[in-house]
Amino acid sequence: MGSLTQPLAVLGALVRVSLMTGMQYRANFLADVATGAIRTLSTLGPVLLVYSRTDTIAGWTLPEALLVLALYLLMEGFVGGVIEPNLSMVVEGVREGSLDLILLRPADAQLMISLRTVAPSRLWDLVGGVIVGGWALATLPSLPTPIDVGVAAVLMLSGVAAVYGLWILAICLSFWFVRVDNLRFVLWSAFDTGMWPIPVFQGWIRAVLTYLVPVAVMTSFPAMAITGRWSPALVAQGLAIGVAFLGISRWTWRRALASYTSASS
Amino acid sequence: MISVRDLTKVYTVPIKQPGLWGSLRSLVDRTTRDVVAVDGITFEVPEGQRVGFLGPNGAGKTTTLKMLTGLLHPTAGTCEVLGYRPKERATDFLRQVTLVMGQKQQLLWDLPPRETFALNRAVYGLTRTAWSDALDELVDLLDLAEVIDRPTRNLSLGQRMRAELCAALLHRPRVLFLDEPTIGLDVEVQALVRRFVRTYADRHGATVVLTSHDMADVAAIVDRVLLIGGGRLGFDGTLPTLSQTFGEGRRLEVRGADTDLGGIGLSRDDAGTWFVSGTAEAVNRALSAVLQAAPNADVTVTDPPLEEVLRRAFRAQGQAETPS
Repeated sequence: MGSLTQPLAVLGALVRVSLMTGMQYRANFLADVATGAIRTLSTLGPVLLVYSRTDTIAGWTLPEALLVLALYLLMEGFVGGVIEPNLSMVVEGVREGSLDLILLRPADAQLMISLRTVAPSRLWDLVGGVIVGGWALATLPSLPTPIDVGVAAVLMLSGVAAVYGLWILAICLSFWFVRVDNLRFVLWSAFDTGMWPIPVFQGWIRAVLTYLVPVAVMTSFPAMAITGRWSPALVAQGLAIGVAFLGISRWTWRRALASYTSASS
Repeated sequence: MISVRDLTKVYTVPIKQPGLWGSLRSLVDRTTRDVVAVDGITFEVPEGQRVGFLGPNGAGKTTTLKMLTGLLHPTAGTCEVLGYRPKERATDFLRQVTLVMGQKQQLLWDLPPRETFALNRAVYGLTRTAWSDALDELVDLLDLAEVIDRPTRNLSLGQRMRAELCAALLHRPRVLFLDEPTIGLDVEVQALVRRFVRTYADRHGATVVLTSHDMADVAAIVDRVLLIGGGRLGFDGTLPTLSQTFGEGRRLEVRGADTDLGGIGLSRDDAGTWFVSGTAEAVNRALSAVLQAAPNADVTVTDPPLEEVLRRAFRAQGQAETPS
């Protein structure tokens, strides 16, 4: 098997296994679907409430804000459905030493730890995101141009890379400090701000949400592209943040593995 | 094959004062100390040899195994396995080794073992033919046919361990690292696991490095014993040499003798059994005397129990703790 197809085969096998695991318990699976749908609806509440009192916030109309919300739900689904459950398993694995068996596999350990499981309940946020996004596009005064959509897709991928890199960085801390569960809650709280367009925030908060917890790159940046608010500088900024987070997290991951102490058996 | 030079591992561990106050203090003022788990060990293992690491708890056996598989990075010294440096985790290295840990499992808990095996096919990049050939062989050797399609969580410990071995060996590794492979298993499964390891190693010429507390594992599987205590290597040799070096020699026991055997050098215990221990020649001499004096008596000659030999060996190495 070639060196390029092997990671893809591993990826396919991992996704297959995690979906099968998710569907093992039927009742749980159905409950997950229901809670996922409810959560999507409840996220809509605050945005609709605010826009019932005003027409624009920081120059963003309701359909434009819904676009950000749709992207936020996609991010929630991705982080909550794929990244978070896997990376909490890593924290557990470091504490109990069960990471041993992953590190012995002749496949990229970072890939293996990132895709061992999925949480089907959070994957419903993705469906919610698609529905809200469709609604937003249908109510926008004009449809985005193909270029706008292409730029948005690139920025979104960059945002996914940035958020994934951030989460890997958080997880790496567990190799040195073992218990970092609380950090996850801090990150989630920061992510919640991603449901609002980034121009709503000013000053250092805006800088934090762009560079430190790059949630804006994943939600607001693509929405800015779709609504024609993008410039080459914005694209360059978004790409740089994505690449930086991915690169730094990869480097840190390798350093963290060297400090892995396992757990005595 | 395996070459280890001055291998050392030092852990830095926090020292916490006892109690709540101690916990509070360690939040702001954390003191640590260094614990030397493995202290400059050196040895070689040629291809196809079966080696057992023996030592009390905390002797450094598992730490050594984890450095040999690349899980832990050595603090000092070097180790090479199959010409690779394990800590680099080269794909070609990982494809040729396996580590089975009696206390940790790789099987996917909610799915049948077959799904773990299928995942490993992708992870190890095996062709379908190579995979199914290996699977057929292992299912047969490990008697897994009835187990393979039942969810792992519904399997007994023995069944799970057998399936673990199958998952760990599907890629036909050249080096097997086994860390306490029979821990917690019942006698029958222990025997099956031991038989299996021998058969697999013989059939595929695999090298085996085993750690165990169970002397029966050692006696059944290994050709060579390395005693490790306090992170240092002590005895290195075969099991018979170990017995000769640290054992009391063979033991002759005579039950149901109708004459007094004290005159030919035997002692009598509280249960009325006559006995004598010594070198093979001394015991043979005593035996022929006993057969003349008491031809109808029930006579047994035994080697010293391995546990006893080890206890003496560890004591000789200055280890207070004995293997459990």
